[in-house]
Amino acid sequence: MIEMIKVSRTYTPNITALSDISFSINTGELFFLIGRSGAGKTTLLKLICNMETPSNGLIEVAGYNINTLRGKDLAHLRQKIGVAYQDFKLLSDRTVAENIAIAMEVSYKKPRAIKHRVRDLLDQLQLTDKHDTITGELSRGEQQRVALARSVANSPRLILIDEPTGNLDASTTERVMQVLTRSNKAGATIIIATHDASIYQQDTHRIMELRDGKIHSLTKGNR
Amino acid sequence: MNFWFAVFRQAGRNLRQTWTSQLMTFLTVSLSVLIFAFFYLIYTNMLGAGDRLSDDLRLIVYLEDEPGPQMQEQLRRKIENFDDVEEIHFISREEAYKRFARQLGDDSDVLADMPENFLPASIEVLPLKSLRGYNQIKLFSEYLANLPGTEKVQYGQEWVERFYYFTRLLTIVVFLSGTLLILTATFMVAYTIRLTIMGRQDELELLKLVGATNSYIRTPFLIEGILQGFMGSIIGLFALYGLFQWISAHFTGPGLLNLFNFSFFPPIVIFLIILSSIGLCSLGSYTSIRKFLRI
Repeated sequence: MIEMIKVSRTYTPNITALSDISFSINTGELFFLIGRSGAGKTTLLKLICNMETPSNGLIEVAGYNINTLRGKDLAHLRQKIGVAYQDFKLLSDRTVAENIAIAMEVSYKKPRAIKHRVRDLLDQLQLTDKHDTITGELSRGEQQRVALARSVANSPRLILIDEPTGNLDASTTERVMQVLTRSNKAGATIIIATHDASIYQQDTHRIMELRDGKIHSLTKGNR
Repeated sequence: MNFWFAVFRQAGRNLRQTWTSQLMTFLTVSLSVLIFAFFYLIYTNMLGAGDRLSDDLRLIVYLEDEPGPQMQEQLRRKIENFDDVEEIHFISREEAYKRFARQLGDDSDVLADMPENFLPASIEVLPLKSLRGYNQIKLFSEYLANLPGTEKVQYGQEWVERFYYFTRLLTIVVFLSGTLLILTATFMVAYTIRLTIMGRQDELELLKLVGATNSYIRTPFLIEGILQGFMGSIIGLFALYGLFQWISAHFTGPGLLNLFNFSFFPPIVIFLIILSSIGLCSLGSYTSIRKFLRI
């Protein structure tokens, strides 16, 4: 599903965010990316969804060199990738429902199907009463869940999640993980960047630790 | 949901979110169309009036003496040497007297003491329809003035000259107002679209990230431009039609406007004005999309 070969990313003047990263992730895998703040986790996710381009190396997603894709091809690939960004990227003047629906609207899903899916996700994430609330009026934790709902709404084949539980309590974290696990069981490949040990330590999935932009370890989970 | 449904809904959102600037642009486009179309309407009516006037245009060549049949033939040949003409009439002194008496009607008794040959003989020349330019008429009258035995040539020089210069001035006004208003409307639409793009940069970036195609992002802005052009021109033309009706209602009867036989644009001109307005507003929209929409 994802193949990275000797990928590096440097920012001017001379800051290396990632260096010589090579790994691959299989279709349907749930993959954890861990490391301290500034280790390069967010940069890696941005490279995978082509929000940024690598300074060196090759990134293949679903068999395509994502950095050579342009126009419609890139748009269609992105429709199959759901991303929950660390800064949420919510439209603060739109309602919760509109924010979630946007991911489905671009792939021309039917309005009734969109409505149904939005209600279902809000229910799963305990946000039913926030359906018509403007996202700018939500707490950080609620915004985080809306961002997560948007990332999975279009039933993407690849889901990239950046710090999904940073602002959540234990029970909400569990609900969020249930939503992600459900998507994973439905066949989606999921990459979660986190430093919340509680969500990856008890799991059997692969964990890759980044340190100073390099792969420090790539191991199986504890269970 | 299909592409067009999605982009029209997006365009609707744009219009709702930036309705104040949209309204200003819409008013600017309407006013631009109104002002330009107003001048153009006067211009086309002036041209129509000019055509009607030139249909009645005759050159009267007053002669020193009444020409005999041989002289008449000679003069006819000389006139036709310059150009073919529609008609040539020789008016004798007596005929001129009778015409004048007819024109005076009930007051014709004032001529009772006058001899019947006190008016000069003349030639009435009706030029061809192709000879309608002011300069051509002027040249022709100068030629006629140089014919042997000619005393004077008359064709309402002052009136024709004034009319000709007024039409020329109006052409310049129409051209200049047209150019300026086209630039204003195009600039305003471009500026509004630019404001919309700037105000929605976050949304556009997000749309890109969730997989919206370029046409999904661009088309709503183009639709906005088309709508501005269409609605603006319709309202501008409606306002002009209202003005036209008001003028027609208040200035009918014997007067200057009667001479003009004031009429509104034919459907094809209305269609072309609407089409041009749509084209220009789309152009304004397109330039902003090209310049500011970085996708």
